[in-house]
Amino acid sequence: MPLRELGAFLLLLVVVFIIGNLWFHMVEGVLDRIKGLFLRRKEPPAWHPLPPEEENQDH
Amino acid sequence: MGFFSKLFKGPEVDMEKSNANAKKMRLLFNQVVENGDDYRLIYGYTEDVSRFNYGFVHGSKTKIGNLIVGWNEASQTIVVVPTVPDLSGCGDPTWYRRSEILKAYRNKYPTDAFVIYPDKKGYIAINAYDWLEDESLYVYVSQEEELAAFTDFFLNHYATK
Repeated sequence: MPLRELGAFLLLLVVVFIIGNLWFHMVEGVLDRIKGLFLRRKEPPAWHPLPPEEENQDH
Repeated sequence: MGFFSKLFKGPEVDMEKSNANAKKMRLLFNQVVENGDDYRLIYGYTEDVSRFNYGFVHGSKTKIGNLIVGWNEASQTIVVVPTVPDLSGCGDPTWYRRSEILKAYRNKYPTDAFVIYPDKKGYIAINAYDWLEDESLYVYVSQEEELAAFTDFFLNHYATK
Protein backbone atom coordinates (compact mmCIF):
# COMPACT_ATOMS: atom_id res chain seq x y z
CA MET A 1 0.00 0.00 0.00
CA PRO A 2 2.62 2.61 0.90
CA LEU A 3 4.29 1.87 -2.44
CA ARG A 4 1.08 2.57 -4.27
CA GLU A 5 0.61 5.82 -2.33
CA LEU A 6 4.18 6.82 -3.07
CA GLY A 7 3.61 6.11 -6.76
CA ALA A 8 0.43 8.18 -6.72
CA PHE A 9 2.23 11.05 -5.03
CA LEU A 10 5.06 10.95 -7.60
CA LEU A 11 2.50 10.89 -10.38
CA LEU A 12 0.84 13.93 -8.84
CA LEU A 13 4.20 15.74 -8.79
CA VAL A 14 4.75 14.88 -12.47
CA VAL A 15 1.29 16.22 -13.33
CA VAL A 16 1.96 19.44 -11.37
CA PHE A 17 5.30 19.80 -13.16
CA ILE A 18 3.72 19.35 -16.62
CA ILE A 19 0.85 21.74 -15.90
CA GLY A 20 3.31 24.26 -14.43
CA ASN A 21 5.45 24.15 -17.57
CA LEU A 22 2.44 24.49 -19.85
CA TRP A 23 1.20 27.43 -17.79
CA PHE A 24 4.63 29.08 -17.85
CA HIS A 25 5.00 28.77 -21.64
CA MET A 26 1.46 29.97 -22.21
CA VAL A 27 1.92 33.11 -20.07
CA GLU A 28 5.35 33.80 -21.58
CA GLY A 29 3.91 33.41 -25.09
CA VAL A 30 1.11 35.88 -24.38
CA LEU A 31 3.55 38.37 -22.81
CA ASP A 32 5.92 38.09 -25.80
CA ARG A 33 3.06 38.79 -28.20
CA ILE A 34 1.98 41.82 -26.21
CA LYS A 35 5.59 43.09 -26.10
CA GLY A 36 5.87 42.44 -29.86
CA LEU A 37 2.88 44.68 -30.52
CA PHE A 38 4.50 47.59 -28.70
CA LEU A 39 8.05 47.10 -30.00
CA ARG A 40 7.09 46.56 -33.64
CA ARG A 41 7.69 50.20 -34.53
CA LYS A 42 11.16 50.22 -33.01
CA GLU A 43 14.05 50.14 -35.50
CA PRO A 44 16.29 47.09 -35.20
CA PRO A 45 19.67 47.90 -33.62
CA ALA A 46 22.60 48.42 -36.00
CA TRP A 47 24.80 45.38 -36.52
CA HIS A 48 28.31 45.27 -37.91
CA PRO A 49 29.48 41.81 -38.98
CA LEU A 50 33.08 40.70 -38.60
CA PRO A 51 34.94 41.29 -41.91
CA PRO A 52 34.61 37.97 -43.84
CA GLU A 53 38.28 37.68 -44.87
CA GLU A 54 39.33 37.86 -41.23
CA GLU A 55 36.72 35.30 -40.29
CA ASN A 56 38.03 32.86 -42.91
CA GLN A 57 41.63 33.18 -41.75
CA ASP A 58 40.84 31.40 -38.51
CA HIS A 59 39.23 28.34 -40.14
CA MET B 1 50.84 10.53 -11.88
CA GLY B 2 50.17 12.10 -15.22
CA PHE B 3 46.54 11.06 -15.14
CA PHE B 4 45.89 12.34 -11.61
CA SER B 5 47.76 15.58 -12.10
CA LYS B 6 45.63 16.20 -15.18
CA LEU B 7 42.49 15.22 -13.28
CA PHE B 8 43.09 17.66 -10.45
CA LYS B 9 44.45 20.48 -12.58
CA GLY B 10 40.93 21.40 -13.74
CA PRO B 11 40.04 22.85 -17.12
CA GLU B 12 42.83 24.46 -19.11
CA VAL B 13 42.56 27.44 -21.42
CA ASP B 14 42.99 26.80 -25.14
CA MET B 15 45.32 29.72 -25.77
CA GLU B 16 45.11 29.39 -29.54
CA LYS B 17 41.35 29.85 -29.42
CA SER B 18 41.65 32.61 -26.83
CA ASN B 19 44.19 34.55 -28.91
CA ALA B 20 42.05 34.18 -32.05
CA ASN B 21 39.07 35.59 -30.16
CA ALA B 22 41.11 38.44 -28.71
CA LYS B 23 42.10 39.32 -32.29
CA LYS B 24 38.45 39.22 -33.39
CA MET B 25 37.48 41.46 -30.47
CA ARG B 26 40.09 43.98 -31.57
CA LEU B 27 38.87 43.85 -35.19
CA LEU B 28 35.27 44.39 -34.20
CA PHE B 29 36.11 47.17 -31.78
CA ASN B 30 38.34 49.03 -34.25
CA GLN B 31 35.63 48.67 -36.88
CA VAL B 32 33.11 50.70 -34.87
CA VAL B 33 35.31 52.93 -32.70
CA GLU B 34 37.45 55.65 -34.20
CA ASN B 35 41.10 55.37 -33.10
CA GLY B 36 40.21 52.02 -31.54
CA ASP B 37 43.87 51.20 -31.00
CA ASP B 38 44.00 53.91 -28.32
CA TYR B 39 41.83 51.66 -26.14
CA ARG B 40 42.78 48.53 -24.24
CA LEU B 41 40.16 45.79 -24.33
CA ILE B 42 38.55 43.25 -22.08
CA TYR B 43 35.54 41.02 -22.51
CA GLY B 44 32.61 41.57 -20.17
CA TYR B 45 28.96 40.72 -19.95
CA THR B 46 25.72 41.99 -18.48
CA GLU B 47 23.09 39.91 -16.75
CA ASP B 48 19.41 40.70 -17.07
CA VAL B 49 17.64 38.67 -14.40
CA SER B 50 13.87 38.70 -14.45
CA ARG B 51 11.82 36.97 -11.81
CA PHE B 52 8.38 35.63 -12.47
CA ASN B 53 5.57 34.27 -10.33
CA TYR B 54 2.61 32.87 -12.21
CA GLY B 55 0.63 31.44 -9.36
CA PHE B 56 2.16 28.10 -8.48
CA VAL B 57 4.92 28.48 -11.07
CA HIS B 58 7.74 30.79 -10.10
CA GLY B 59 11.39 31.14 -10.92
CA SER B 60 13.81 33.41 -12.78
CA LYS B 61 15.18 33.92 -16.26
CA THR B 62 18.66 35.28 -16.95
CA LYS B 63 19.65 36.91 -20.23
CA ILE B 64 23.37 37.38 -20.90
CA GLY B 65 24.57 40.31 -23.01
CA ASN B 66 28.13 39.99 -24.28
CA LEU B 67 30.28 43.12 -24.39
CA ILE B 68 33.63 44.27 -25.70
CA VAL B 69 34.80 46.84 -23.18
CA GLY B 70 37.47 49.32 -24.20
CA TRP B 71 39.12 51.84 -21.92
CA ASN B 72 41.43 54.76 -22.43
CA GLU B 73 43.31 55.84 -19.35
CA ALA B 74 44.33 59.25 -20.70
CA SER B 75 40.83 60.39 -21.58
CA GLN B 76 39.22 58.44 -18.70
CA THR B 77 36.74 56.92 -21.10
CA ILE B 78 35.09 53.52 -21.24
CA VAL B 79 33.53 52.34 -24.51
CA VAL B 80 31.11 49.43 -24.54
CA VAL B 81 30.34 47.49 -27.71
CA PRO B 82 27.66 44.75 -27.66
CA THR B 83 28.58 41.50 -29.34
CA VAL B 84 27.75 37.77 -29.43
CA PRO B 85 29.69 34.78 -28.04
CA ASP B 86 31.05 33.72 -31.47
CA LEU B 87 32.12 37.30 -32.24
CA SER B 88 30.47 37.19 -35.66
CA GLY B 89 29.47 40.85 -35.34
CA CYS B 90 28.87 43.73 -33.00
CA GLY B 91 26.49 46.61 -32.38
CA ASP B 92 27.04 50.33 -32.03
CA PRO B 93 29.38 51.57 -29.31
CA THR B 94 28.35 53.53 -26.24
CA TRP B 95 30.76 56.00 -24.67
CA TYR B 96 31.01 56.56 -20.93
CA ARG B 97 33.28 59.55 -20.35
CA ARG B 98 34.09 60.07 -16.69
CA SER B 99 33.37 63.78 -16.95
CA GLU B 100 29.85 63.06 -18.26
CA ILE B 101 28.66 60.16 -16.12
CA LEU B 102 26.64 60.46 -12.93
CA LYS B 103 28.59 57.89 -10.93
CA ALA B 104 30.64 54.72 -11.21
CA TYR B 105 31.63 52.16 -8.64
CA ARG B 106 32.57 48.54 -8.23
CA ASN B 107 29.81 46.42 -6.81
CA LYS B 108 30.58 43.39 -4.68
CA TYR B 109 27.09 42.13 -3.88
CA PRO B 110 25.07 40.35 -5.25
CA THR B 111 27.68 40.00 -8.01
CA ASP B 112 31.13 41.42 -8.55
CA ALA B 113 30.51 44.03 -11.24
CA PHE B 114 31.71 47.38 -12.54
CA VAL B 115 28.68 49.67 -12.38
CA ILE B 116 28.32 52.88 -14.40
CA TYR B 117 25.37 55.28 -14.17
CA PRO B 118 25.45 57.54 -17.24
CA ASP B 119 22.43 59.39 -15.83
CA LYS B 120 19.62 58.91 -13.33
CA LYS B 121 17.54 56.88 -15.77
CA GLY B 122 19.66 53.77 -16.12
CA TYR B 123 22.89 51.98 -15.45
CA ILE B 124 25.16 49.30 -16.85
CA ALA B 125 26.73 46.61 -14.68
CA ILE B 126 29.71 44.97 -16.38
CA ASN B 127 30.75 41.56 -15.11
CA ALA B 128 34.22 40.39 -16.06
CA TYR B 129 36.29 37.32 -15.25
CA ASP B 130 39.74 35.99 -16.16
CA TRP B 131 38.18 33.27 -18.27
CA LEU B 132 34.75 31.70 -18.76
CA GLU B 133 34.58 28.20 -20.14
CA ASP B 134 31.01 28.11 -21.50
CA GLU B 135 31.40 29.16 -25.14
CA SER B 136 27.68 29.02 -25.81
CA LEU B 137 27.07 31.92 -23.43
CA TYR B 138 30.35 33.82 -23.17
CA VAL B 139 33.30 34.81 -25.34
CA TYR B 140 36.13 32.33 -24.92
CA VAL B 141 39.06 34.53 -23.98
CA SER B 142 41.71 34.43 -21.29
CA GLN B 143 42.34 37.94 -19.96
CA GLU B 144 43.95 37.78 -16.54
CA GLU B 145 46.43 40.57 -17.22
CA GLU B 146 43.99 42.85 -19.03
CA LEU B 147 41.34 42.41 -16.35
CA ALA B 148 43.83 43.34 -13.63
CA ALA B 149 44.74 46.48 -15.61
CA PHE B 150 41.07 47.37 -16.13
CA THR B 151 40.27 46.83 -12.45
CA ASP B 152 43.16 49.09 -11.49
CA PHE B 153 42.02 51.76 -13.96
CA PHE B 154 38.39 51.56 -12.85
CA LEU B 155 39.10 51.69 -9.12
CA ASN B 156 41.87 54.26 -9.17
CA HIS B 157 41.03 56.54 -12.10
CA TYR B 158 37.39 56.08 -13.06
CA ALA B 159 35.24 55.23 -10.03
CA THR B 160 33.54 58.23 -8.49
CA LYS B 161 33.28 56.90 -4.94
